[in-house]
Amino acid sequence: MTSTRDDGSARSGPDQDGPRQDGARFEGAQGEGPPLAAEGTHPPRVSGDELERMTQPQLARLAAELDDVDVVHNQDPWPVPGTRAERRAAQSVVLWFLISALSALAFLLAFLFWPYEYVAPGTPGYATYAAYTPIVGGMLGLSITALGIGVIAYVKKFFPDEVSVQQRHDGPSEEIARRTVVAQVVQAGKETGFGRRKMIVGSAGLAAGVLGVGVGVAAVAPFVRDPWKGGDEAALWVTPWRSVNGETVYLRYDTGDPEEVALVRPEDQEPGSMMTVFPFREADRGNEEALIHGLRASDAPVMLIRLRPGTPTVWQPGRDLHYGDYIAYSKICTHLGCPTSLYESQTDRILCPCHQSQFIATEYGRPVFGPAARPLPLLPITVNEEGYFVATGDFDAPVGPSFWEMGSV
Amino acid sequence: MTTTPDSPAHEPGHEPGRRRWGLPRRRRRGRRGGRSPLHRRVAAALALGLGLLTMSGLYTAVTADVNQARAQEADAALLARGQELYNSNACISCHGSNLQGVDGRGPSLIGVGDASVYFQVSSGRMPLARQEAQADRKPTLPIFDPDTEEGQANLDALGAYIQANGGGPTRPEAAGEALRGDDPARGGELFRLNCASCHNFTGRGGALSSGKYAPTLDPASETQIYTAMLSGPQNMPKFSDRQLTPEEKEDIIAYIYSVRDGGNDVGGYGLGGIGPVSEGLVAFIVGLMAMVGFAVWLGAKA
Repeated sequence: MTSTRDDGSARSGPDQDGPRQDGARFEGAQGEGPPLAAEGTHPPRVSGDELERMTQPQLARLAAELDDVDVVHNQDPWPVPGTRAERRAAQSVVLWFLISALSALAFLLAFLFWPYEYVAPGTPGYATYAAYTPIVGGMLGLSITALGIGVIAYVKKFFPDEVSVQQRHDGPSEEIARRTVVAQVVQAGKETGFGRRKMIVGSAGLAAGVLGVGVGVAAVAPFVRDPWKGGDEAALWVTPWRSVNGETVYLRYDTGDPEEVALVRPEDQEPGSMMTVFPFREADRGNEEALIHGLRASDAPVMLIRLRPGTPTVWQPGRDLHYGDYIAYSKICTHLGCPTSLYESQTDRILCPCHQSQFIATEYGRPVFGPAARPLPLLPITVNEEGYFVATGDFDAPVGPSFWEMGSV
Repeated sequence: MTTTPDSPAHEPGHEPGRRRWGLPRRRRRGRRGGRSPLHRRVAAALALGLGLLTMSGLYTAVTADVNQARAQEADAALLARGQELYNSNACISCHGSNLQGVDGRGPSLIGVGDASVYFQVSSGRMPLARQEAQADRKPTLPIFDPDTEEGQANLDALGAYIQANGGGPTRPEAAGEALRGDDPARGGELFRLNCASCHNFTGRGGALSSGKYAPTLDPASETQIYTAMLSGPQNMPKFSDRQLTPEEKEDIIAYIYSVRDGGNDVGGYGLGGIGPVSEGLVAFIVGLMAMVGFAVWLGAKA
């Protein structure tokens, strides 16, 4: 406290030469002696009797003086009470708060009772439905805005016009304050035994330290993952297309309903078409969570492309994984993992909308433009004896953005 | 341990030739049902012609045969009219006198079908203005305007002529509002799965490679959207009726109609409907500036 109260020579307290100093802060420590030299310019000292006699405005003024605040100018905006102008000002402030209250009520009622369920355009009730968001948002916004305007209007119209100056000081605190504070701390250390009882302090430090390490580890640990956990089965290497226990993995089309399993046959596609397919195992049938996982897993989507007959194709040795005119590519761009599904049926290019990488579907998914450096992973497919497309294995390369320790394929 | 997908307990709808399992509430239309009456008339006329040739010596004409013979004449007239339109409206200069295509100008039209003709000509893309990355939609030739009776008749005739040479996908029987399905929510799901990658999630369109683009879907009519899905114009992939059933196509059309022309801007203004980037930009530039300005104004008045 004392450190902020050095007014130096700028100002002298009005009562500094008063008869008694018992209101001073150093009363206990200094006893009854005369004010110290450093305290000569301290804010006013008020005796107990004076304090008793002081009125509330006087006390408020004293509080300002104790904090070295000088009220230079204080003008009551309405010096004559009860004028018509003052009444008008009060009414306008009240009006804003009432607007705020009413719009808040309207917001609450609209939020609770306005029909919010989707209505397609052109059907009855669409206008009401379409008004839901503007009404709820508009009323909430109006309420907050009117509340703010009311507060600001109140401050502007009714707060006194005041200019105050508070004295600040440069440099360190007074010598006496610094010494006494340090002495107090040392004294406290002695009296509580922190200095002597090494065992207790040490064990307390140990407890706090271990707890801190524990909390720190708990906070950081979720960010630490080992991408290679599981070896060849690590999440970076395998996808939901991998066959578990030799079970057949079918190609599945998403109809918008996860429970509705639609398998894919070669005759489902016209030449020059693309279908997004997902993995399906018979074991997952009826298991909603597993079915949804198959449809939503980030490395599962596959573009099943049927080329026009006679389209010339180029395959790398050992990557000849098409089935006739059908090719199945991972839909995940090898640059940064966007869905690269803009298939152009005439040029047989696959374009990624994020960074314009382009892959050629007829040449093993080779990147021909843009930042992607690796071909799209191919899914080996065939048609089983029932006439359905099935995957004969997982992708021939890791899906998604190229990662470290990943040689060029 | 491995159950086969044929276990009948699970799939009531599973039988050869049908992709969907389940969905009993939805009416199915096979390939036959999807043909236009025009196609059927042509096919029937050809079959009848054969029959008449072989049987004309054995039977005297009965009343029904007379009627159908008239229909055959009408179809022959339709094909002749189609060929005349084909030859006289610049189609022939790029697609050749026998629809075989002209090297460096235009592809063969054998097998593209009536659906493709309807889409390309009724949307004004054909006749092509010039050879470039993409055929733009432009005002339809007046004689092929689908909003007039004459234009409709001419589109029918031209489509019948192309259809008679190699077949191909045909227009749906219904037209206009009848092509909008009753489940735009499901249509939206399918749209986002199959169409949104190129056409944006509310059909705003978007860029493709080398100057090509996916057009906005706002000006397209129901039949045009339907025939585009069937025929895969330009670089669009085809969506056969086995990949997207007619009902699914109609739901997709219902979805497109529900979000276009400001149909789904529940916030009041869609900002072009191209997604969070434009909206975030407006929030920053307009919203943030307004708030900064308000704060400055407050400070200035204090």
